[in-house]
Parts: sequence; structure tokens; C-alpha cells
Amino acid sequence: MLGKLTWSAIPFDQPIPLVAGGVVIVALLAVLIWVVVKGHLPYLWREWITSVDHKRIGVMYVLLASVMFLRGGSDAILMRIQQAIAYQSQGYLPPEHYNQIFSAHGTIMIFFVAMPFVIGLMNLVVPLQLGVRDVAFPTLNSVGFWLTATGALLVNLSLVIGEFARTGWLAFPPLSGLVYSPGVGVDYYAWSLQISGVGTLVAGINLVTTVLKLRTRGMNYLRMPMFCWTTLASSLLMVAAFPILTATLAMLLLDRYLGFHFFTNEAGGNVMIFMNLIWAWGHPEVYILVLPAFGIFSEVVSTFSGKPLFGYRSMVLATMAICVISFMVWLHHFFTMGAGPDVNAIFGIASMIIAIPTGVKIYNWLFTMYGGRIRFTTPMLWSVGFMVTFIIGGLTGVLVAVPPADFILHNSMFLVAHFHNVIIGGVLFGAFAGFTYWFPKAFGFRLDERWGKAAFWCTFIGFYVTFIPLYAAGMLGMTRRMQHYDVAVWRPWMIVAVIGMAILTMAVVCQVVQLVVSIRNRESLRDRTGDPWDGRSLEWATSSPPPVFNFAISPDVRGEDAYWEMKAKARQQQFAHAQPEYQDIEMPRNSPTGFVCAFFASIMGFALIWHIWWMVILGLIGAWATFVVFAWRDHDEYVIPAADVARIDRANIEERRNLVSLAGSV
Amino acid sequence: MSELSDHSDTSFAPGDEGEHDVGARVLGYVIGLALALLLTATSFFVAGTTLVWQPSIPVALIVLAIAQMGVHLVFFLHITTGPDNTNNVLALAFGLFIVFLVVGGSVWIMSHLNQNMPPMDQIMRMQ
Amino acid sequence: MAIAATAGHGHGHGDPHHIGLVIEHPGPAPKRVVTGFGFWIFLLSDIVMFSCFFAAYAVLLGQTADGPKGAELFDQRNVAIETVCLLLSSFTCGMASIAADVRNRLWFYLAMAATGVLGLIFLALEFREFAALVARGAGPTRSAFLTAFFTLVGCHGLHVTAGILWLLTMMAQVFAKGFRADIMRRLLCFALFWHALDIIWVAVFSVVYLLGSTP
Ligand code: HEM
Ligand SMILES: [Cu+2]
Repeated sequence: MLGKLTWSAIPFDQPIPLVAGGVVIVALLAVLIWVVVKGHLPYLWREWITSVDHKRIGVMYVLLASVMFLRGGSDAILMRIQQAIAYQSQGYLPPEHYNQIFSAHGTIMIFFVAMPFVIGLMNLVVPLQLGVRDVAFPTLNSVGFWLTATGALLVNLSLVIGEFARTGWLAFPPLSGLVYSPGVGVDYYAWSLQISGVGTLVAGINLVTTVLKLRTRGMNYLRMPMFCWTTLASSLLMVAAFPILTATLAMLLLDRYLGFHFFTNEAGGNVMIFMNLIWAWGHPEVYILVLPAFGIFSEVVSTFSGKPLFGYRSMVLATMAICVISFMVWLHHFFTMGAGPDVNAIFGIASMIIAIPTGVKIYNWLFTMYGGRIRFTTPMLWSVGFMVTFIIGGLTGVLVAVPPADFILHNSMFLVAHFHNVIIGGVLFGAFAGFTYWFPKAFGFRLDERWGKAAFWCTFIGFYVTFIPLYAAGMLGMTRRMQHYDVAVWRPWMIVAVIGMAILTMAVVCQVVQLVVSIRNRESLRDRTGDPWDGRSLEWATSSPPPVFNFAISPDVRGEDAYWEMKAKARQQQFAHAQPEYQDIEMPRNSPTGFVCAFFASIMGFALIWHIWWMVILGLIGAWATFVVFAWRDHDEYVIPAADVARIDRANIEERRNLVSLAGSV
Repeated sequence: MSELSDHSDTSFAPGDEGEHDVGARVLGYVIGLALALLLTATSFFVAGTTLVWQPSIPVALIVLAIAQMGVHLVFFLHITTGPDNTNNVLALAFGLFIVFLVVGGSVWIMSHLNQNMPPMDQIMRMQ
Repeated sequence: MAIAATAGHGHGHGDPHHIGLVIEHPGPAPKRVVTGFGFWIFLLSDIVMFSCFFAAYAVLLGQTADGPKGAELFDQRNVAIETVCLLLSSFTCGMASIAADVRNRLWFYLAMAATGVLGLIFLALEFREFAALVARGAGPTRSAFLTAFFTLVGCHGLHVTAGILWLLTMMAQVFAKGFRADIMRRLLCFALFWHALDIIWVAVFSVVYLLGSTP
């Protein structure tokens, strides 16, 4: 009746996951009870859960990423402590548990922190920057978000019901095959990625279509803000790469569920097909993550230097070049596995070539700052910190892209340091820069600068203290994923790293405090004009937070840095332009489709993991029915009358006029 | 062709044809079907025949398949190289490029891997 | 005409690089174009997914684990009939699109029904082939080659199955709601999907059945 699910699936004998899971469940219940008791549930349902507004969905993505960041971060703390004490001893984490932790850490950080964070920011900002009212497919957007959330839910469920994979974040066979991983861990891993992968694909399709087909009048390709370009490149990669992940995991699942022989050691199966395909997705994936971050830095650097982005066209070219080349280097992840000198040489060179467009970007940012009047706000600090850190990560990347060097460094702590160097220094710094930069746009008040800067410095220093020792340990021969070790020279480095981890933890605390303090002081941090940073692109042309319809009148773009020019013109003309003619606006109606779909997907995923076949069918039928019901509805739009539009817009214009005249009188 | 607006001259939905009368459109599909059937028949014939030089058969089959896909794209999916189709064609080109990389790259890499590190059961058999 | 060629009059900033002529982007595309393009992107991603199964098939083609090879298993006649079914169904699907465009319900239902029936015949033939293979001990668990074969061809079959479900839904929608603009957009997507499956089938019969059975 319940497939493989029995009481023994709950790890009563393992205190750590049980306590952790218990705390999470209690916290969730507490929040839920609070929400219900306070009567917020209808509001949440109406305004958030069923919302198809790209801004709301973007915020929910970022919220999901932030919560999962705490989970992934806890895993990281556990691992660092283990490696600091497990010298010639077993430490405090048994191997089967340690293996689950590093697998969950990688999976969560990539799929449920980095991905939703960048997708959330793109969702929030790109339609605003393009001057349009929503993304191309608003309801699908909500479906995509909720499917991502489903994946996150399943991964976390494995904490209390059953176990997680012990295979690392990419579940290489034959270890992940049925023979060596008979438990449900790999199934949790694979199904949660399959489900959230659909969500990512949907998000990618949505963003590609939005950028290519929905720009406002006059928003020619070469006038788009850089962030839109990097969004386009990143979403193109999502659309092209995620199907590869889906297919590869499908093959793994077929092996596990139906006894197929893609990656088995018998009957002609070949594990290297998995290696090959997973990395054909895996390398583009790292650029899916880092390209949007590049876009964020471009926006931030140009805004806070008060100058247009230097070398805009070369930046566009570099972005698209990275988009294409990132698909031609995947073998560098398995140089050591026998492809031979010809193949290795070609992929090694291709990998090094990708550093060229990246270098172009770095110079462009530097030249943008050169001669500018720079304001070192929190987002700008993250950007400068990124440039320094990412260069080191890129250099070590080029180093491991040299096949002979990689034979020594592959799967060592050096590699671990490399990718944390680029992912933390690139993606995470970018996410935080974007978070502080666009927070006022999303919520109408700025974040506290003091705590923001404290968070930056703790992260920056903590990062180096944690990961530079890992480079050293790697060069001393320490391999990755060690539950314990007997080599004395590695020990000091592990101890330094755990100190770094403590500093990083403080950074997270600073971020939380920053949020709390800012919410408390929101009145004094209020952004009344919609343009708190003296911005250059269209998202600053509307109020903060923007009205549902974003722009009362669709903007008419006449050049690069669209809003900057509008401001200049407005100052010249003292806002003398004629009263605009407001019109009724049609907006998509909210829809529970995404939430309901995800509900059934959760049921189906859980049932598949535990082989509860009747429940699988139930989930499938439910999802299908949801779709048909959605397809059947007659009215998916509602009208905002012109009078309302006018009222909202006039209030905003009034605030802005006050600001400009104030600035004029000083 | 319901909601043509002033934008229709700059972009086309993939799959949409320009304005033609019904007869011309049906004729398009008829031609497409005829060409597709012809190419299919040729493929099956080539695969089974002993009349042509054997090593050329795989190449011929691949060329025929690509030709037939082209026929489908043009006559059934109405993907043309006209200026109104730029985005559709570019997206298609990107997709095909990825397909080429994935299939070509995998086959190339795997053949080298198999040569240098044969799969487990082949090693067993060699012993 | 929404395209305005603004050659530098009034707003000189529009052309910072002095190219001379800037064609102003006319604004968001109409819904039909947006929907069609989005679906087009989805189809490309689907094709990339298929390409992985093709790659696996190409790599595992020789890995028969001393079991039957393609040449011993494939029945060219069956494949030829399957192919003809799909090609004809693509044609009838095109007829359905035309019928919908000229708002002719009768022809629309006829053409869609024909498409569905041809799809079902295809599925039946494929199912019979699979069943026969399994019955003679050449199921997907027999060898890596057969694993790859069943997965690739079966994945196409699953797509056709989904397509038929979609087809029925679309017929019901037209029946209930007529040729509304949103339904016409879905019909456009359906037609794209069906034609794309045909293109994949061309690759399947060429690579799997024909190339796969050359010695
Ligand atoms: C200049 C650009 C880069 C080059 C040349 C490069 C090169 C490499 C190479 C050769 C490896 C494999 C090393 C080994 O396994 O022995 C690797 C691993 C990795 N890189 Fe990079 N990289 C670059 C940038 C990036 C960026 C921007 C990211 C992420 C945003 C990234 C993320 C990763 C990850 C996650 C891994 C390890 C995955 C694993 O084995 O679990 N890299 N890199
Ligand atoms: Cu890589």
C-alpha cells in the first residue's frame, strides 16, 4: 500500500537530522499558525500564492533562495567542523551521514539557492527594464516558481523521511546505481531535480520570449540594459542545457526503476555516458548562474560611477560569446578519465578561450569606474569585491583547464576552492549586490547601509579565510569529500578554514540583522521617488514598489540608458510636458494553477520516491486535470480603469517633481 | 490569422504562413507531403539495396534525413529565411547548433574514451 | 507602419554610435507571435532532450551484450508503415490548421480526427513491435543497446501519446468555445508540436532503424 515507506524511514536513531528536521517543522508550524491566527491567510493566498505578477514571483524566488541558503549554510558549517576535528579520528559525523551532508549541500546551493536567486532577480527586474507590464507567460511563471519550490520541499523532506543521496551533487553512477545505492536517497535527489528542472525550463522559456518579443517601443536590442542581455544569454542556456539534465537523470532513473542498462556495469552499459552528458549540462549551468551576476555588476557599476557602461557593445558581444563557448568546454570536468591527448588538448584550449570574453568584461567594468564619481554603497562594495575575487577564481580555473595540471588538481581541495571562488565571489556576490540594489524597488525602502557593509566585509574576509586554505590543502594533496584523514600537514589549514566559516556565519547574521533593522526603520529609509540611486534604466522610472501594471504609459525609448535621458530631458523642460492620456490597462488575473500543479507534483514526486504507485497515478491525474481546468477558463484578464491608473501615476509624478525641484534648490 | 496588427510585418509566429488563399496553402502541404514521401522512400530503398557502394550508405541516409527535415521545416512549419522570420530562424539555428554539439561531441568523446578505457565488460572479455 | 526611421532629428542620443539610421523597435509583439515563439523555444529544448537519447543510442549501438543486433530485430516494413502514418498525419494536421483559419468546423473536426486516428495507428504499430520484442526476450533490460533503443523510440511514442491527448482536448475546446483567439493560439502550438514530432521521427527511422540495421 505504501510502497517502500515504513516507520523505519524516520531516522529515530540519528539525532542530528531528527532534531534539525524537528526544529524546521516546528518553525514552519509556528509560522503557519501565526499566519492563520492573524488572519493573513486570505491575503497571502490572494496576493502572493496565486499571484502571477512577475514582481511578486521574483520576490518569492528570492525568499525561497534565502531560506534554502540557511539550510545549505548549516550543512557547510557541519562539514567544516567535521574536517577540523576529524584528524586521525572519526570526528562527530559518521561517514554515511557526512556523505549525505556534502551531497545535500551542493545540490541545495546550486539548484535551490543560486538558481532561484538569479531567476528571482531576473523575474523582478527584466520586465521593468524592458518597459513592459509583465513577462510573456505570467501563469506559467507561477507554475515554474512553484515547481522549483516543490523540488526544494522534497530535498528537505529527505531529512526526516528516509535519507538523501550519498553520491555528491551530481550522483555519478555506478555509485548512484541501484547496486551501490539501494536506498531512496538518490531517488529523492533525482526526482526533486526533475521537478524543479521543469520549473527552470519554464522560467527560461519565459525570459527568452520576454526579452526577444516584449520590449517596449524604441527598446532596440542595442539599447537594452546589460542585465537584459545577460538574462537573454543565461535563459538561452537554461533552455538549451536543462533538457540535457532531464534526459540524463531520466536515464539514471530508468536504470534504477526498470533495470535498464545505460550506466550499469553489466550488459554493455557505460558510466562515461553519464559523465559526458551531465557535464554537457554542468558547464553551461555554471554560466547560467554567473551571467546574470555579470549583468547585475554592470548595472551597479555604471549607476554608482555615474557613467554609462564602458564598451557596451563589446560587453554584449562578450556575453553572447560566453553563451556559445560555454557549450564547448564540458570535457574539462573529466580530463583525467581517459579521453586522451587530442580530445583533452582541444577542450583545454576551448576552456582557456572562455577566459577572454570574461577578461573583456572585467576591463569594461574597470573603465566604467575610471574617471567616474564613485559612490561606495553596499551594492558597489559587492561589485568591487567581486572583481578582485572573481579574477582569482578565473585564474585558478584557467589553471585547472590545463590538462596536465588538472591531473594533479582534479578532485582535490584545490578544485573545491576554485569553484567556491567563482560561485561565491561571482554568483553570490552578484546576488547580494542585486538584492541590495533592487530591494528598494521591490519594497519601497532601502536597506540599512551600515549592516549591509558589515555583511559585505564579513563575507569578503570570511571567504578568503575559508577558501585560501583549501587551495593550500589541495596542493598538499588533500582530496575532496574526506570524512576523516591522517595527514598532519592538512590539519592547520582545516582549522583556519573553520575560523573563516565562523566569520562567514557572522556575515549571514549581519544580513539577517540588516533586514530586521531596515524593516524597523523603514520610514526613514523610505524611497518616495522610485529612484533611490539616481539610476539609469527604466526600472527606476516607476514608483517603488511599482504598481501592478508597472508603467502607466508604456515608455518610449530613445537611446541607451533610457531613464537617464528621460531625467535629463525632464530637468530641461521643468516637467512641462503635456498631461499624458491614460488608458484602461488589461492585466492577467491571478491563478492558483501554479500552486495546485505543484501540490500534485509534490504528491507524485513523493510517491515515485517511495514506489507508491496508486499515489503516482493520483498525482498525475490531478496535474492533468489542473491543466485542463486552466485551459478551460474564459477570462484570464481584468481591466484597471484609466481613472485609477491616472491617480496612481500622478501621485508618483508629484513625488518626483518634488525631488527634482529640491535637488535644484540645494 | 486572427489578430494581425501593425506588428505583423516585423515578426511572425513560427508556423504561421503569410496571407495566401486556401488553395495555395493546401498545395504547399501537398508538395511537402509528396517530397517527404519521396525522400522517405529513397531512404528505405538506399538502406536495403545492394546496388550502391556500401560504405556510402550511412552518409546517404544522413543526407536524406537532413533533406527531409528541411522539407518539413519549410512546408509544414513554414520556417523561411524571410526577414520577418529572423528570430525564429536564429532560435532554430541555436538549437541545432546545440544538438550538433551534444550528439557530435558525445560520439567523438565516447569513441576516444572507449578506445583508451574500454567499458568494464569489454575488459573482462579481453582477459 | 509602426517602424519609424529616425535619422537623427530631435533626439541625437538615439544614435550614440553614429550609424546614421536607427530603426525604432515597434514595441511588444502581438500575443499570437509571443505564444508561438515561446512554444517554438520549448520545442527546441525538447529536441535537445531527444539529442541526448540519440547520443546515447549512437554510443551504445554496438553494446548488444551478445544479444540480438538491430538487423535481426527491426522490421523495415513495419517502420515504413509507421512512417507513412505519421507523414499523412502531418498533412492532415496542416489541413486542420487551414480549416481553423477559415473557420470551417466540419473540415476542422474531420482533419483533426484523421490526425488522431493516424497517430493511434502509429502507436498501435509501435506497441505491437515493442510487445513482440519483449516477448522474444529482447526487452530493454536485455542489453545496453536495447535499453537505448527502447528509451529513444519510447520517448517519441510518449510524445505522440501526449500529442493525441492534447489533440482531443483541442477538439473539445473548439467544440465548446469555437475559434476564439486564445484557442487559435493553442491550435498553432499544437500544430507546431505535431509537426516537430514528425521531424524527430525522421531522425528516428533514419538513425535507429535504417542506420541501426546496416551491418
Ligand atoms: C575562466 C573560466 C573558468 C575556467 C577555465 C574553469 C575551469 C574549470 C575546470 C577545468 C574545472 C574542472 C576541474 C576538475 O574537475 O579537476 C572546473 C570545475 C568547476 N568550475 Fe570552473 N572554470 C571557470 C569558471 C567557472 C565559473 C564562472 C564557475 C561558476 C560560476 C565555475 C564553477 C565550477 C564548478 C562548480 C566546478 C566543479 C564541479 C565539480 O566537480 O563538482 N567555474 N572549472
Ligand atoms: Cu566547467
